[in-house]
Amino acid sequence: MYLLTHYARLLGSSLLLVFVVILVMFMLLELAPGDPVQALVGSMPVTEAFREQMTIAYGLDRPLGERFLAYLGNILTGNLGESFANKQPVIDLIMGRLGNTLLITIPALVLSSVGGILLGALAARTRSRVKDGTISFLAVAGFSIPSFWLALLLIMLFSVQLGWLPSQGMNSFTSNGISVPHLILPVVSLALAELAFKARIMRSSMIEVLGQDYIDTARSKGLGSMEILRRHGLLNAMLPMVSVIGYSLGYTLAGSVLVEKVFGWPGMGLLLYDSIQRSENLVVMGILLIMTIVIVIVNILTDVVYGLVDPRIRARFTIQRGAR
Amino acid sequence: MAIRTRAKSRTESGQAALRTPVQQFLRLPSTAFFLALIVLMAAFCFIGPLFSASPTDTSFDVLKAPDATNLAGTDSLGRDLLSRMMVGGQISLFVGLAVGFICMTLAVIIGGLAGFYGGVVDTLLTKVAEFFQVIPPIILALVSIAMLGASLPIIITILSITMWPQVARIVRAECMRVRELGFVESSRAAGFRPLRILWSDVLPNAFAPVLVATTMTVGRAILLESGLAFLGLGDANTPSWGALLNGAQAYMQTAWWLTLFPGVAIFVIVLAANMLGDRLNDSLNPALSRVK
Repeated sequence: MYLLTHYARLLGSSLLLVFVVILVMFMLLELAPGDPVQALVGSMPVTEAFREQMTIAYGLDRPLGERFLAYLGNILTGNLGESFANKQPVIDLIMGRLGNTLLITIPALVLSSVGGILLGALAARTRSRVKDGTISFLAVAGFSIPSFWLALLLIMLFSVQLGWLPSQGMNSFTSNGISVPHLILPVVSLALAELAFKARIMRSSMIEVLGQDYIDTARSKGLGSMEILRRHGLLNAMLPMVSVIGYSLGYTLAGSVLVEKVFGWPGMGLLLYDSIQRSENLVVMGILLIMTIVIVIVNILTDVVYGLVDPRIRARFTIQRGAR
Repeated sequence: MAIRTRAKSRTESGQAALRTPVQQFLRLPSTAFFLALIVLMAAFCFIGPLFSASPTDTSFDVLKAPDATNLAGTDSLGRDLLSRMMVGGQISLFVGLAVGFICMTLAVIIGGLAGFYGGVVDTLLTKVAEFFQVIPPIILALVSIAMLGASLPIIITILSITMWPQVARIVRAECMRVRELGFVESSRAAGFRPLRILWSDVLPNAFAPVLVATTMTVGRAILLESGLAFLGLGDANTPSWGALLNGAQAYMQTAWWLTLFPGVAIFVIVLAANMLGDRLNDSLNPALSRVK
């Protein structure tokens, strides 16, 4: 029962969040300068017939409240409009690119999470001031580097100078499918800042765990420091990382816009960049909405995972359930 | 001589307990370094143009590698990159400082009220902060600025709107902590009005964490602005560091200096702001300095 109300509340707040984003999109559309039809489809010339069609579809000649309802109705029925430049429904256009974006964001998420957890855990072991200072400096430096500049530097080194890795696109002209060499530079540039950030949080979490009594017990049993870290420290210190990793998906998605632009990676981010250049606001807003939905779904999953891995939360659920 | 040094060090350690966080902060060796770095960068951007070539004068020396006359080389129109970086840096620094200042002001007012009074303001702030924790500021900023048009006032406004809740959350938490302390109790017992207690007792004691959060906000704002400018969403009149990098991508094969130097400038200023915030945080919680 407790579990049920918890998830009902979570679902409610997630839906509210999506609603707020839709409201923000509508407000932006209202505030956008210039002709409302042009604000929707971009700076291309439109025919009179198309103009009338848009006016009816978006209720542009009706009062504000009705305009919002028309807008909301369109979105709820999955109709995000038509991309004028691509002659394709916006939803199909975005969904066609979502896979490519996930192809770099998911490996980047895995790399930053695994790397951050390992480096953070190892960094927590040191007692030397110099080493400690160096590690925290490197972590801050890691998330102070603009991801797109890092991407440019990597291209200059590995593509232009050394010629080891390709710098543009998803695969070479001759082949189709997933090409690993093309993935490496985008994934690394996308992951570094998050990796540094996660390592920092993991380190502080680990230091806290290493101060607990049960670690002293383990040490008094004669376990070595690596053994303690692995068997008693790692899993406990990783608990706060669950929500950090959950939130980091949103930031990695956001970062993909910049990184995709540098590498000409044909994902959602590059589509967003191109649509901004053409001021195709329907596509721009569609991408915001789809990103929001992806982030919200991952958030719900994070919450579920958190409940599964933390025995204390699991226990609370069972106790509550038992009491009723 | 030796005796004098020892006597001096004894007084110093005797005073250590009395030192305020700000004094401790200023004593850390790297603090001076990063503070100096920021001052130096500001001088480079705002005083530098007085002594350098015009950032808009074109010449026939296009894409010239760094040498004695053009210390950072020239761009595809033969303009001096160093001068362009000075002028562009003014935009980056101005945006960072303006956003930091607006965020701090909003955060102190709203976070202060929320933390001190609780109630509706508190619920609202918590919800808004949660919203911006889930939806990354850069996505919202990107879409909003793309739709409203990129100009300096709009960029500053949008970045402030998306970034203030994180600072406000910290002010709120601090005010909630401080309002339970003994001296606030005694102010209350003395019959002072709540707003006066908030202003003269609670906020000054919450000041230090606000400073940390604001410093970091300045760094993050500069980073976000450079990302936006890199995507072509910067102020059109003066290309900031991010916009310079946008123009550099086409010449990566031949003109490495166009990519290297503006990026170094962004990196150095953001790093300095973040390190200052970090050090400040250390000196505020010496007990926690290893735990962060």
